[in-house]
Amino acid sequence: MKKFSTAIIAPIVLFAAVLMVSCTGRPGDDDKGAAATSLVEEVAKRGVLRVGMSTFVPWAMQDKQGKLIGFEIDVAARLAQDMGVTVEFIPTKWSGIIPALLTGKFDVIIGGMGIRPDRNLKVNFSIPYDYTGMSIVAHKKLAGGFAKIEDFNKEGVAIAARLGTTAAAAAKRFVPKAEVRLFDDESQAMQELLNGRVHAVVASAPLPAFQAIKYPDSLFLPISENFTREPIGFALRKGDVDTLNYFNNWITVVDSEGWLKERKHYWFGTRDWENRIQ
Amino acid sequence: MVRIKKKFSPLDAALCIATTAVVLFVIHRVSTDLNYRWNWSVIPQYLFRYDEATSRWIPNLLMQGFFMTIKLSLWAMVLATIVGTAIGLLRMSGSLFFRMIARSYVELLRNVPPLVLIFIFYFFIGDQLMAVIGAEEFIRSRSPELQRFFSIIFAPPSSFSAFLSALTTLVLYEGAYITEIVRAGIESIERGQWEASASTGLAKWQQLRFVVLPQAVRRTLPPLAGQFISTIKDSAIVSVVSIQELTFQGMELMAATYLTFEIWITVTALYFILTFSLSLAMRRLELRFRQHGAL
Repeated sequence: MKKFSTAIIAPIVLFAAVLMVSCTGRPGDDDKGAAATSLVEEVAKRGVLRVGMSTFVPWAMQDKQGKLIGFEIDVAARLAQDMGVTVEFIPTKWSGIIPALLTGKFDVIIGGMGIRPDRNLKVNFSIPYDYTGMSIVAHKKLAGGFAKIEDFNKEGVAIAARLGTTAAAAAKRFVPKAEVRLFDDESQAMQELLNGRVHAVVASAPLPAFQAIKYPDSLFLPISENFTREPIGFALRKGDVDTLNYFNNWITVVDSEGWLKERKHYWFGTRDWENRIQ
Repeated sequence: MVRIKKKFSPLDAALCIATTAVVLFVIHRVSTDLNYRWNWSVIPQYLFRYDEATSRWIPNLLMQGFFMTIKLSLWAMVLATIVGTAIGLLRMSGSLFFRMIARSYVELLRNVPPLVLIFIFYFFIGDQLMAVIGAEEFIRSRSPELQRFFSIIFAPPSSFSAFLSALTTLVLYEGAYITEIVRAGIESIERGQWEASASTGLAKWQQLRFVVLPQAVRRTLPPLAGQFISTIKDSAIVSVVSIQELTFQGMELMAATYLTFEIWITVTALYFILTFSLSLAMRRLELRFRQHGAL
């Protein structure tokens, strides 16, 4: 009888132990009010602002020296400098970036994240510091003569986009009849297009235009303007009014200075940085 | 012993020609049909680059990822061997309780896809565990020299707790397989060995330590080699939780440069160098054991 009971108890004990470890929250997690520990103070104490980001050309990318460069990197570096701390970038896969923020792998996402209602249910957004739009680049042979976004909204048309991005959402909304294939990053989506397995790639501007310039023989821009306009904000964990207020005002200040516009022009309006990455 | 004939038969020749033809056909298709602009010239700079400031050659992205993969796999192998041996011995224990614990561990870990395991561990368990032991505060409050030391043997402060989560997952996952390898190794030792050593007056622990284990190690070496190679390859899955190892760095680089094929091929070659040299090392170890009967 004794043997029998241990046989049952052992796995239960083990399972309970695993459950206990996974369920007990971080000590004092629940009673930490927003006022008690604001991120701004926590960051000041630590001396390091941890920023979650993902590679998106030209928002954030690594140069030949392995150093991160790009529009978002400039923004985050200036933010940290103004907060009087050092910045630390944590490159994270885009598809898992919100869970990583929520579980505290870093303090804020500064990664060209579009403010979207469904995302906003899970995180807080700052006011927009930038606007972007979706653009489309198509295959000359497969999509020859396509001139409107409606032309792509047909059965048998395949569109590629990056998983978890607003581009993927836009593709599903604007061309619901087309088949949307999702990839982990844009380079794979672009390769699919170059190989002629999809008709077009939807991505945030200016990437489609850059690609059309790079491969003039096989790609073209069916629509010259962006077909959406999306606000971009910092994403942070919910309920931290103090930090949200700081970020919002910081954005207002650097925007008024004209600094954001100047940086944006360097990364999006020129290609002076091109030889820094290849 | 059966002599294996070493003659080149017409069948061998036909097979050789057929294989070469298939390879050439694939290369031909790739070069003509694939719309891809090959650009190999930029790849070397992602391996090593010349640093102007210190005027030295230093590893760049891909090599940094390569070293991270080595660190991760090396620690995972060492720790998984310890965990596997300990649990493997529990598997053989006289106590039903210990046997059940060991069995639960093996069955739980072995029957969950590693990808799922790593997500669960990184986002839930690892996070709580790291907060409880205060991994990040610990590393940040160390002196710069100690931080450098930890960066070299583990990971830099910014990714220290993520590294530990990923490492723990790998260790537990590979440990489950090593447990079974160890158990199989010990069980393969004939009953007579135990009985003979018992009759010379050795205690149970001494029988294991001096008679059974030395023989079992020899038998477990080949499957263990396979498991170690698997560990290196499995380490690629931690790229999904953004550990900056070879696969992750490769994918980041692809996102920035769009050199998909060049980078995948380079990454593959780097993995192969690692796994193949491990294969050769394990093979040498096996031969040594066969010749000397011990290390």
